[in-house]
Amino acid sequence: MRFLRRVSAEVVLVSPRLTRTRLGPSLLLLGAGLVWLRSRGLDPLTAVLEAGALAAVLGAGWLAGNARDRAALATALTHPTTPLAIATGRWSAIVLPAVLLAIACAVASGAPATAAAAGMVAACAVAAVALATVLLLGNSAAVAFFLLIAVAGAIAPEQLVALTNPGIVRLAAASILELGPALWRYRDIATGDLLSFGHALAWTGLGILFASGIVERQRASVL
Amino acid sequence: MPDYALALCNVTSGAAGAPRRSALRDVSLALLPGEIAGLVGSAGAGKSTLLQIAAGCLLPSRGEARVYGMRVTDPAARRLVGYARDGTAFPPALTVREVLTYYARLHAERGGEPAARRLVREAFDVSGLGPAAELFVSALGRADQQRLAVAQATLGQRRVLLLDETLSALDAVARRDLRGRIAALAADGVAVLIAAREPAALECLAARVLVLREGRIVRAGPLPALLGERVLEVILDAPPREAPPGFRVTETGIEAPLTGRTVEAALALCRAHRLPVRASRVRVKSLDDVVLETHDAH
Repeated sequence: MRFLRRVSAEVVLVSPRLTRTRLGPSLLLLGAGLVWLRSRGLDPLTAVLEAGALAAVLGAGWLAGNARDRAALATALTHPTTPLAIATGRWSAIVLPAVLLAIACAVASGAPATAAAAGMVAACAVAAVALATVLLLGNSAAVAFFLLIAVAGAIAPEQLVALTNPGIVRLAAASILELGPALWRYRDIATGDLLSFGHALAWTGLGILFASGIVERQRASVL
Repeated sequence: MPDYALALCNVTSGAAGAPRRSALRDVSLALLPGEIAGLVGSAGAGKSTLLQIAAGCLLPSRGEARVYGMRVTDPAARRLVGYARDGTAFPPALTVREVLTYYARLHAERGGEPAARRLVREAFDVSGLGPAAELFVSALGRADQQRLAVAQATLGQRRVLLLDETLSALDAVARRDLRGRIAALAADGVAVLIAAREPAALECLAARVLVLREGRIVRAGPLPALLGERVLEVILDAPPREAPPGFRVTETGIEAPLTGRTVEAALALCRAHRLPVRASRVRVKSLDDVVLETHDAH
């Protein structure tokens, strides 16, 4: 119960941010853009996956990646909470709008319920990794992560390396896509693939644990 | 043994054999409930490190910190310690009330939202931030930011307050107001350890002062005892090549504490050194003098 109370204290911070920062308009723009692309022939499952995952990256940037937000973690840790509660709470705060956007996108683009579920699971995994990334490296890393998910996220790694000269960059990108949270893998969740679901679940857990480790390091930070 | 609110026992920070700036060496101190102690020293002396260890944010490599007899890392002890670090940062895009409500929710174990709201009201009373409750954190001036730092540090009836540079860089009115609020907390039995790079800020507040230098407490005592001495200031027509024994060079001449000698004897010493004395005056020693003396003596 105590853990849940601490987590919920973090989650309630999301509503003022949605209306007062550019997070709200960014999510609306993202949703509108994906629905427009859907009307131009984008596959509905891809649109929903992109909505969940990209909204998660935007959320991580606006809810945790700001330098002052990261500095404020040290203050929060002087109160009765734990790094794990903070990381779980921030993750929940990031996931909440991302999941809502994925559902809205599924409804607007006429995607089936399974596609919406895949989008939600993708949002959970990407949110955890994005949270850990922005806590460690700040918002510039969020931009890189956003581009990776938006541009390369839906491409299967085989498509990148199945060339005569893959090159080191393509090889690195293919490895990231193979191991990390990527939309090409989470497409299979819509067809009930448990391995893809397990992959997302593992990244969710690992991301939150890693983020809590980074929060713990903030305890002794001198501003 | 008295029930100390805060006790640091032979605390050393940093790995052995790896000296670094701000590391503490064998520091011991004890604070009684309701006592206000000041921590002064130049930058890098270890003031913030000491407060971080007392707050349980940093673990010492040797020694231990205890709060009311409990190790500071004990969750029950942590609940009793409030810490306002230098340059405390708050979640941006929130109002003062939202920030305090966020922290209050972490303290309100039972009672939920009504308990959190009560804690926020108490924090407003303690800090005097009521009129700024609906302002965004980013819009606060330095004084209100420091009030907010104190407010969050006192949330949940903390019994030990660690304040890092809370009185620094404030105008006289804001400083007096915050001093009064900190003194009121101490009157309620809260032990306060406050660090300041501007020692003058502590002169009307701290009952006891500890001077830190290179991670050690080099001087400590009640404020009246430290400031009890008088100082002879000698204004010279030209800067001296070398100060007489016991004197230190200042911007306008030289000065020395009048410990164990008369004004006449000190001026005679100046004449003996053929110093071009223009004027002299005796003044009461300030905490700045104590820090400078400590610095020059090492």
